[in-house]
Amino acid sequence: MSELAKTPLYDEHVALGGKIVPFAGFAMPVQYPAGALKEYHAVRADDGGGLFDISHMGQIRVRGAQALDFLQYVTSNDVARLVDGQVQYAALLNDDGTFIDDITTYRLAEDHYYLCVNAANRHKDVAHLKAQAAHFDVHIEDESERTTLLALQGARAASILAPWVNIDLGAIGYYRFATADIEGRKVMISRTGYTGEDGFELYLPNALAVSCWRALLARGAAPIGLAARDMLRTEMGYALYGHEISDAVTPVEAGLMWITKLDKGAFIGRDAVAARLAQGPRQRLIGLRLTERGIPREHYRVLAEGRPVGSVTSGMFSPLLGTGVALAYVDSEHLAADNLCVEIRNRAIPAERVRPPFVRSRVKKG
Amino acid sequence: MTIPADLKYTKEHEWVRIDGDTATIGITDHAQEALGDIVFVELPEVGRQLSPGEAFAVVESVKAVSDVYAPVGGEVIEVNNLLESEPEKVNTDAYGEGWIAKVRMNGDTVELLDEATYTTYLEE
Repeated sequence: MSELAKTPLYDEHVALGGKIVPFAGFAMPVQYPAGALKEYHAVRADDGGGLFDISHMGQIRVRGAQALDFLQYVTSNDVARLVDGQVQYAALLNDDGTFIDDITTYRLAEDHYYLCVNAANRHKDVAHLKAQAAHFDVHIEDESERTTLLALQGARAASILAPWVNIDLGAIGYYRFATADIEGRKVMISRTGYTGEDGFELYLPNALAVSCWRALLARGAAPIGLAARDMLRTEMGYALYGHEISDAVTPVEAGLMWITKLDKGAFIGRDAVAARLAQGPRQRLIGLRLTERGIPREHYRVLAEGRPVGSVTSGMFSPLLGTGVALAYVDSEHLAADNLCVEIRNRAIPAERVRPPFVRSRVKKG
Repeated sequence: MTIPADLKYTKEHEWVRIDGDTATIGITDHAQEALGDIVFVELPEVGRQLSPGEAFAVVESVKAVSDVYAPVGGEVIEVNNLLESEPEKVNTDAYGEGWIAKVRMNGDTVELLDEATYTTYLEE
């Protein structure tokens, strides 16, 4: 794996016995010796607290007099609705309305924003943003390589983090952020995550990575690998680029029109999305819960009356439900079918359509 | 990792305990460790006739789906139904409560390794 990038915490993962796998060009821990199931429960438990190294993700700073106009044009959501200290989920779309990436946008000031992007898409995103920035008074800086990103997730996240920071975490609402001073350095802390639990994401200068990681583990957080992270997000029905969303689907099929504001003015992909919405999508992303034993997996076929009508994008055994759950694209004319099945090893396993999340979200909304 | 001396092993990481003409089959400690947390086991039907080397059961971990191959030929005479509700027994007791099926042997087998040979095979 010599060609793989390492996060500043790579040696910590190895020291903890993490099983290292390639992921989006990085050598990342897929699980620690506790195993993916225990790690999953360490986050979902009523007294849960899990710590994730997600430093492979990218961070892009956008500054300039036209930063707002620029982001209104390149992202799908309405950036004008953001106030300082607020975060917004959004898409970067191609002209044809398909996804370049899904991102979060942080507003520091009207002329100053910070984007968090998927690791695998970072270089593509930066090139796209820089090309578009030529038409705006705006400066784009890729800060990914100097930034460590940790996620602390679970019911106990605030109590684990609070003694270690000099700000009132209770004042940070869902999808809001604040800046703390840690060891004399600025750290951005947002009440965001990818698990459906309460929690925070911490943007640190690399110099703080090891001390912060160790401090939060010492306060009782469990280290969590990519396998449990994927279980936690799938159970919430959260999209993952390359699975639910890609440059082959638009927000119409993906059920992400809530982050696509067609009435905000011109933006890249707007006309294509509006046209797709008007004509009706060929497929839609839905949630399925198996009613018999079996685990749906990516690319398994969805059947209606024995005929293929769709395919699974993410699937798992839900430990809380004790059953298989899946996100799947299904042909529009079969969305209302009450006889959907997932084909597992040539057997049609019955499934009921459910609206994700598959288990109750405990994020602190409102 | 344990490799009991009284069992035979396959290169696909199954173990087999031979008692008269009955073979009890499971996956090895090495196999369960490599797979990680087992969350689903698909058992064969009792009465099914197996050829040596045939995929006859499936174990699924959080991330992976893995076939289990028959070390011996013969008829499935019993399966471990406990694994339908407690598949994690394959992780916690691979050579005991994690057994998968019992087969009445017809005499055909794949290449079966003794403990020492399997240990060497794992080290290679």
